[in-house]
Amino acid sequence: MLYDLRNSDLRVRWLVTLLLATFGASYLFGAWMVGLYAGYSPRKVAETYGPAGEEPMMMQMPPETTMVSERPISMAEMSEEHHHVDLDLLVQDTHVHMPMYAVIAACLSVIALGLTIPRWASFATIALLFAAPWLDFAGMWLTKLVSPHFAIVTLAGGWAMALGYTIVAALATYQMWWRKQ
Amino acid sequence: MKALLLGAAGAALLHITPTVILVKRQDAVARLLPGAEQFSARELHLSSTDSRRLHDAVGWEPPDGIVTFYVGKRQAQTTGALVFMRVDCQHGPLELAIGYDPRGTIRGVEVTKATVEMKPWVVEALRAGLTDSYRGITTEQAPAGAEKVKSQIGAMPGYMAELIDKGVMHANAAYRLFYK
Repeated sequence: MLYDLRNSDLRVRWLVTLLLATFGASYLFGAWMVGLYAGYSPRKVAETYGPAGEEPMMMQMPPETTMVSERPISMAEMSEEHHHVDLDLLVQDTHVHMPMYAVIAACLSVIALGLTIPRWASFATIALLFAAPWLDFAGMWLTKLVSPHFAIVTLAGGWAMALGYTIVAALATYQMWWRKQ
Repeated sequence: MKALLLGAAGAALLHITPTVILVKRQDAVARLLPGAEQFSARELHLSSTDSRRLHDAVGWEPPDGIVTFYVGKRQAQTTGALVFMRVDCQHGPLELAIGYDPRGTIRGVEVTKATVEMKPWVVEALRAGLTDSYRGITTEQAPAGAEKVKSQIGAMPGYMAELIDKGVMHANAAYRLFYK
């Protein structure tokens, strides 16, 4: 253990508590946003990140000749936002989000280093915290480039992120404020 | 700790600001396809050859190989077509709606979305009359709205105007080459 959160200065515990609370609030809004724009089922995620079109699960390669389809659509449907992340947007998303995810994983890892847990558990927690964003974006890219079935990897990344945060937040809060020596 | 704080500040600076709606899609449709009572979505899944044609024409192709035109009709007569076009830059995406009349000339252009950071620049360019210059041009003509308003606006609004020109140029090429 590099430092001991349980016996750390009150200011450090206050900082960690506020940081965790802020991350927690942003994660809740993140979950809400995922629900609004991508969804929680593999199909919804595949529709968001996979190839565009009416049948994204079927059509991945460009057709040999340009295909035109026309269907009636209502004004409401036309105005509806179909949030679809194409290749250019995914490049931009990866570029801007990966550094932020790394910083969040690093902050939570620094907190994990101060927890009274076995060394292997500390390694595992840090690995989980960093694996989550990698899984998240690997899933998006694999869904885009290989198969929509990889949407499940993105979902696994999201749940791993929630799990990592919950483990660190629960243990840190308990050890800082209840199980003090 | 110092490195961590610098990293966090850097990541925050890199983050693209959220998207804001400048014109609701519904309002853009009403303005660009006036009088239309029925609508249809014409989806073009471009072949690699056609994607390349588009790329050779304007240096752009739809990232997922699909262009969707929304066609407006009134009593079985086509009143026009509309396409939503996204233009990306390092400040985030812009979304345009480009409307065509039945002859294939531009009826109007609306900027439907921008980011929080880009909004004031876009609004300044629009106030200078940027989109007026697109009205009535054919799909063969190069949009030159930026050139017309640049002397009245700042550098960043000028840059936004160039991006809007580019989006209109992409839409024109897609319409000219594939809309039938």
